[in-house]
Amino acid sequence: MSADARLEYLRTIATPNIIDVPSPFKSKKGQLKKKVNRRNKASRQLIADELKRINLILQPPEENEQQQSTATTPSSTTSSSPSTTTTTTITTEYKKLTPKVTYFNINAPPSMKPPKKYCDITGLNGPYTSPTNNIRYHNSEIYQIIVKPMVPGTDQEYLKLRGANFVLK
Amino acid sequence: MLAKQIYKDKTILSNCKLTMTTTPMSTDTSLPPLKIYTIDDPPLITEPESFIEIGKFDATRPIAIDFGSYNIRAGYTGFEFPYFDFPARLTRHRDRKMSKTFTFIGNNTRLDQTVRSQSKTPFDGNIVTNWDYVEDILEYTFHHLGVKPNNGIPNPLVINERLACLQSQRKNWYQMVFETFNLEQVAFGVDSLFAFYANNPTGVADGIIVNCSNEETDVIPVVKGKGILTECKRINWGGRHSAEFLSSILTLKYPYFPSKLSSFQYEYMYHNFCYTAGNYTKEIETLLSLPSLEDQNIVVEVPFTEILHPKKTEEELKRQAEKRKETGKRLQEQAKQRRMEKLVQKTEEYEYFSRVRDSLADQPKKNILSVLQNAGFDDEADFKKYMYNLEKSLKRAQILEADEHDEHDETENKFELVDVPDQELNEEQIKEKRKQRFLKASFDARIKAKEEKARIAKLEEEARIKDQEWRESSLSTWIKDKRGKLGALIKKRKDKLKLRDEMKDRKSQVAQNRMKNLANLAEDSPRQKRSRHQASIDNDPNDTFGANDDDWQVYNDITANPEAFDELLEDEYKEIVELEGKLLEYDPNFTEEDTLDAQYDWRNSVYHLFLRGPRPHDSEDPHQQHQMHLNVERIRVPEILFEPTIGGQDQAGIAELCETIVTKKFDSKPSKISDVALNMCKNVWLTGGNAQIPNMKQRIVNEFTSFLPSGTPIGVHMSENPSLDAWKGMSKFAQSEEAFKEAVITKKEYEEFGSEYIKEHKLGNFKYFEESARL
Repeated sequence: MSADARLEYLRTIATPNIIDVPSPFKSKKGQLKKKVNRRNKASRQLIADELKRINLILQPPEENEQQQSTATTPSSTTSSSPSTTTTTTITTEYKKLTPKVTYFNINAPPSMKPPKKYCDITGLNGPYTSPTNNIRYHNSEIYQIIVKPMVPGTDQEYLKLRGANFVLK
Repeated sequence: MLAKQIYKDKTILSNCKLTMTTTPMSTDTSLPPLKIYTIDDPPLITEPESFIEIGKFDATRPIAIDFGSYNIRAGYTGFEFPYFDFPARLTRHRDRKMSKTFTFIGNNTRLDQTVRSQSKTPFDGNIVTNWDYVEDILEYTFHHLGVKPNNGIPNPLVINERLACLQSQRKNWYQMVFETFNLEQVAFGVDSLFAFYANNPTGVADGIIVNCSNEETDVIPVVKGKGILTECKRINWGGRHSAEFLSSILTLKYPYFPSKLSSFQYEYMYHNFCYTAGNYTKEIETLLSLPSLEDQNIVVEVPFTEILHPKKTEEELKRQAEKRKETGKRLQEQAKQRRMEKLVQKTEEYEYFSRVRDSLADQPKKNILSVLQNAGFDDEADFKKYMYNLEKSLKRAQILEADEHDEHDETENKFELVDVPDQELNEEQIKEKRKQRFLKASFDARIKAKEEKARIAKLEEEARIKDQEWRESSLSTWIKDKRGKLGALIKKRKDKLKLRDEMKDRKSQVAQNRMKNLANLAEDSPRQKRSRHQASIDNDPNDTFGANDDDWQVYNDITANPEAFDELLEDEYKEIVELEGKLLEYDPNFTEEDTLDAQYDWRNSVYHLFLRGPRPHDSEDPHQQHQMHLNVERIRVPEILFEPTIGGQDQAGIAELCETIVTKKFDSKPSKISDVALNMCKNVWLTGGNAQIPNMKQRIVNEFTSFLPSGTPIGVHMSENPSLDAWKGMSKFAQSEEAFKEAVITKKEYEEFGSEYIKEHKLGNFKYFEESARL
């Protein structure tokens, strides 16, 4: 297919999918607003944010209180009796929260069984470990051919498969 | 079609080899050729995504969308199958001529090669990160579904959420459906619970869901139709991870593979050739044995364009060879001419200086020195040395000449001028005489060399006859002797190879000893015995270096001169083969299998079987260069779901998670399993696209059998197409009015409670926190 014919073809596919602006499928209100360019956060960032959020909620009230009180102490150091009364009221109203189902507590725990050792190269059982680079291997032949002459970068590639590589931070 | 063609070619090729190669290989080619699978990018589709006529379904019919990270399934509820099932991918394509940007979504991305390769997913792992894409994909979905829009979508919607999804994700989804698409009623639920519901429509069943999706794998217990999310667990490994793992182990297995494969190709291999082992530890013990490899090994070939060298005709080849021969001859003649000239010059010089020497013989020393110094020599010693070297090089040249003239004997040569004194000859004749003298000397040398050769041949013949006599008189001692010799040779060879390997390693014992020796020799003053008598390196009585021949091995640097070492090995190898040939002929107990070659047989090499499968490898064959062999990988990759540590996930596998649920939760103890747990074991459901890897069901049965008391009834189920389960469940769920009403969130509720609102229902997510007792 020539480049022009291809372009023409792509246009014919795309045309029926074009939807008018403003789109009838969407709320008018939403479309009137200027479209702000959302910044896409990576999933790792989103997970970290969630952890922060949960920890903040789970923080015991005393800590919250302390933070508040340290912020206010310079002005109200002398009047101690009213502040104590307020804290007691807050603690009585506070319901202790425990996590029920969160992204983190449904994460499967580490295995309780001793991990089996497999050859990093072949996937067969790997009873031996190379003393120089920690590669597990199946037999002397694999050691002679692969493990012994292995260059430093490659051993890390192999170790990375089972998450045993060095990570520089 | 193509694969068939290749298959045919292979047969022809191996037949050729049968006729071409000799001895050890000939038995191999008798094996039938292996089946070869060609791995190409998946074909493009030709039909763009269809549209449902606008308004075909009225606005009260709920729509169900299973928004998965691999595929999105969408359709009106009440049907058995979703109307649309397309990949969750989107491409923005800039048309420069029209200066417009087109958006291709779902199946439309698969119509064109470039569009497909540029397509992106809104997901990063199991989390949506690009909400613009989600918005476009949803709009596209509603558009194709033929929804009659009314500043939004009037139909109710059932949509899935991730298990225990993040607050920010839920917030975005709420905004998307209620604010952007202006929906009135939306029910959120967990896809794997919907899948269970699809297959257990009574809604009160107990069971365990094993959800194997593209991004994660979950184990969820269900009691009376309600997912018990407080006991569910997630393994952060899905189909995508597996395909990527396969890609990394194959690139490590074939580091010099000539072409780069796309992720689609690895995905294809994972989907089509991987399967779950019934018992991994047992299967890897026998997998690489020849008989099992015969059916387990999968050969995949990447398409490539073969470069065909045009064959030259016989005449052309002949002409070429002749041409080469001629030029060779010419060069040889030229070289000979030059050598001759040099030789004549040298003989002249030699003669001149020998005359000088003779004339100086009885002169006083002072005179000699002055004459020599005039001629350019330092002293007498220098002169002697020069003469010696000259003589030597002449002799060498004569021998060389002798070898060359071996073929065409010229006994007719006459050296009539040699014995005539110089005075009787004119200048021309003197020159001729010199030449003749030289020729005569070389002729003599030739005869000598011939005699020597004949003598050696005679000796060899004698040895052969002697050997034969010995063999005929007492075969057993002969065999014993030959075997001993062979053993010694093989051992020597092995030692040499070992030495070479150790030399490469700077830290090895051998290398260090060598360095020590060299250091000792280099030391100006051997410290040890110096005080006793002034011993120099030349007369140190304690220095026995060199007395033993092996000492000189120190200088025989293997790494510095690898060619010579290889030659040495080659010679030794020839000797071994010769001995083996003799033994093969006369020793009835010595068979092909005992030879050195057989011991290096690929059949005995785990590495060969792993890398090249159950056939010999021909590195010259372009087809074999473009082939990969899948054997251990086929079970190694799916095994990660049962042992996530293989893939670097420090988590328990599916089986262990199930075991914990059944034997430790729901009032169970390992000694006594509760009734609820026993009910669950009877109703284990596998769902999700990744569950389609063959033999998964059998493996789960095996695992349950191993941790349950014998005789416990076990039921593991999987629907025909587990990737559609979730959508079907949604469809059924929306049809059951009561359940739907219970789960639905209205726009009003959203506006009232905000984005943190979670409506708990049987098939939905739970709240993040629960209130424990008041303080």
